[in-house]
Amino acid sequence: MTGAPAPELAVRRAAVELAGTLALTVGVRGDRCIATSQYHQGALRILRPHYLDDTSQVCYVVVNPGGGYVGGDEYEIDITVETGARLLLTTQSATKVYRTPETRAEQRTHIRLGPNASLESVPDPLIAYRGATYRQATVIEMHGSASLVMAEIVTPGWSPDGALFGYDEIRLRNEISVDGRLAVLDNLLIRPLTGAAPIDGMAFLEDYTHVGSLLVMDARVDAALLNELHELLVPLADGCKLGMSLLDGGLAMRALSHATEPLDAAIRAGIDFLRFRWHGQPRLNLRKY
Amino acid sequence: MPNTPTERVNEPPSYLLPLLQLSDSALPTGGFSHSFGMETFLERGLIDGEVSFASWLSQFVSIQLTYSDGFALRLAYEASSVDDIARVDRMIAAAALPREVREAGTKMGARMLAIAGTVAPGARLAGYAADVGSGRCAGHPAVAFGVAGRQLGVPLEELLASYLFTAVTSLTQNAIRAIPIGQDAGQRVLLGTHPRIMDAVRRIQALDADDFGITAPGLEIAQMRHERQRVRMFMS
Repeated sequence: MTGAPAPELAVRRAAVELAGTLALTVGVRGDRCIATSQYHQGALRILRPHYLDDTSQVCYVVVNPGGGYVGGDEYEIDITVETGARLLLTTQSATKVYRTPETRAEQRTHIRLGPNASLESVPDPLIAYRGATYRQATVIEMHGSASLVMAEIVTPGWSPDGALFGYDEIRLRNEISVDGRLAVLDNLLIRPLTGAAPIDGMAFLEDYTHVGSLLVMDARVDAALLNELHELLVPLADGCKLGMSLLDGGLAMRALSHATEPLDAAIRAGIDFLRFRWHGQPRLNLRKY
Repeated sequence: MPNTPTERVNEPPSYLLPLLQLSDSALPTGGFSHSFGMETFLERGLIDGEVSFASWLSQFVSIQLTYSDGFALRLAYEASSVDDIARVDRMIAAAALPREVREAGTKMGARMLAIAGTVAPGARLAGYAADVGSGRCAGHPAVAFGVAGRQLGVPLEELLASYLFTAVTSLTQNAIRAIPIGQDAGQRVLLGTHPRIMDAVRRIQALDADDFGITAPGLEIAQMRHERQRVRMFMS
C-alpha cells in the first residue's frame, strides 16, 4: 500500500563539533552476527562484541567515557542492522545528564533495520539531574520483516536539596517508519517546572517519579500476544501504573513508578518473553563489562 | 420606508454559518461516545466532580488538543497539496499510541468528512475523503476540519478556537452524563476553558515540527488502560 512519504531526517549540522559519534553496522558473517563496520569519535565508544547465548545474536555495549552529558553536548549514533542480522544494544551504565545552563544536551540516533533484521535496545536508565535539559531524537527506518524491541527508563536525579525533578526538560522522540511509511510517532515531553500541565497532575506523573517504556515493532505482534504480555507484566509491575496497547504493527507499554526496579523488572520480563517466544533464547542476563 | 440601494448593510463573513454548523457539539461525529481517557480517571475516583473534571479538561487542552489535534489542524490548513494532507493524517494516526485514541480519530474523522463534505464542499476535502476511502489515509476530524476551514476562508485562529471549543464542549457534555455534574456546573467548566483555549491557539501557531504529537505519560497510560476497564460508557 502507498502511504505518506517518510519524514525527512534531521539534517546534520556539520558546523557543530559533536561531543561523540558512533556508527555501527552489524551483518551476518558465517554463523554469527558481527560488526561489518564501526566508527567512533569523541566521548562515545563501543566495547568488543560478545555473545550471551548460543544464538547468532551479537551484543554490543555503548560506553560514554566522559561520564555524562553536559550543556551543549551533541551525540550522534548511527546503527544499521543488515539482512537477517540480530543485534542487542545496551549501555555500560546509566546515561547521566548534568546541568545544561542556557542550552541542552542532545542525542540523535538513526537506526536502519534490513529485511529480517532485529534490534533489541536495552539501555540503562536515563538520569537527569538538576538544571538538565535533554533531547533524545531517534529515527528508525525498518523493513516490514524486521523486528524492533526498544526499552527506556527515565529517572529523576536527586537535587542537593533533596527535591525530585530538579531537571528542566526531558524530551524523548521516537519516529518509526516501516517500509517507508510512518508507523509510530512517540513523543514525550516532561517539563516539571514549566510544563503545559502540573507535573503531579493526572496527565503527567501524579505522585510517581519514574517513567518506563517498551516499544515493540514486529509483524508477529497481535492482540493475543498483547494479552499474554499484559497478564505477565501487570503482577510484576508492583506499585506501578502500567498501560499497554496495540500499535499499527506492534505494541507499546508505558508505566509510571516510584523506583527503577519494578519498571526494570516488567520491561525485562517483556523482553525475555519475546526472546523466548520468537528466538527460543534464554533470559537476558546483561553482565556489564 | 424601504432601504435605499446605496445604504450599507453589514453582513457576517460568508464562513460564519458553515463554521457554526460544523462547530456544533451535537454534530453527529460520535464525540458523545469518546472520553479520551477521562473515564479511566473517573473510575479511579480522581475525577469526581466539577473541580477535578475542570482540572483534567484543562490538562487535556494543553496537551492532546494542542500538540496533536490543534497542530494537525494547523498543518492541514497550511497544506499546499493532497500529499501534505496525507502526511499530516499519517502523523496524527502514528502519534496516537493508545489504540482507542487511534480508532476514535478514524471513526470521528470519517463522520466529520461526510458532514463537512455537505456543509463545505470543495476539491481539497473531496481529495482527502477519497484518500480515506482508498485506505491511503486513516482519517481524523482535526485534519478534515482544517481542510474544510481553509476552503471556507476561516482565519486560522478562529478555526482553531472553534475546533478546540467544540472538543471541550463535547467532553463536558460527556462529563455531565458520566460523573455526573449539573448543567450549570458544565457551563462554568466551559467558561473556565476560555483562557486555556486562547492560550492553546497562540501556542499552536508557534509550534515546531519536533513538537508534533507530544503527549504526557499519565494521560497516555489512562487512555491505554481504558481498553481493559470492565464497566464503560465510552469507547475511549
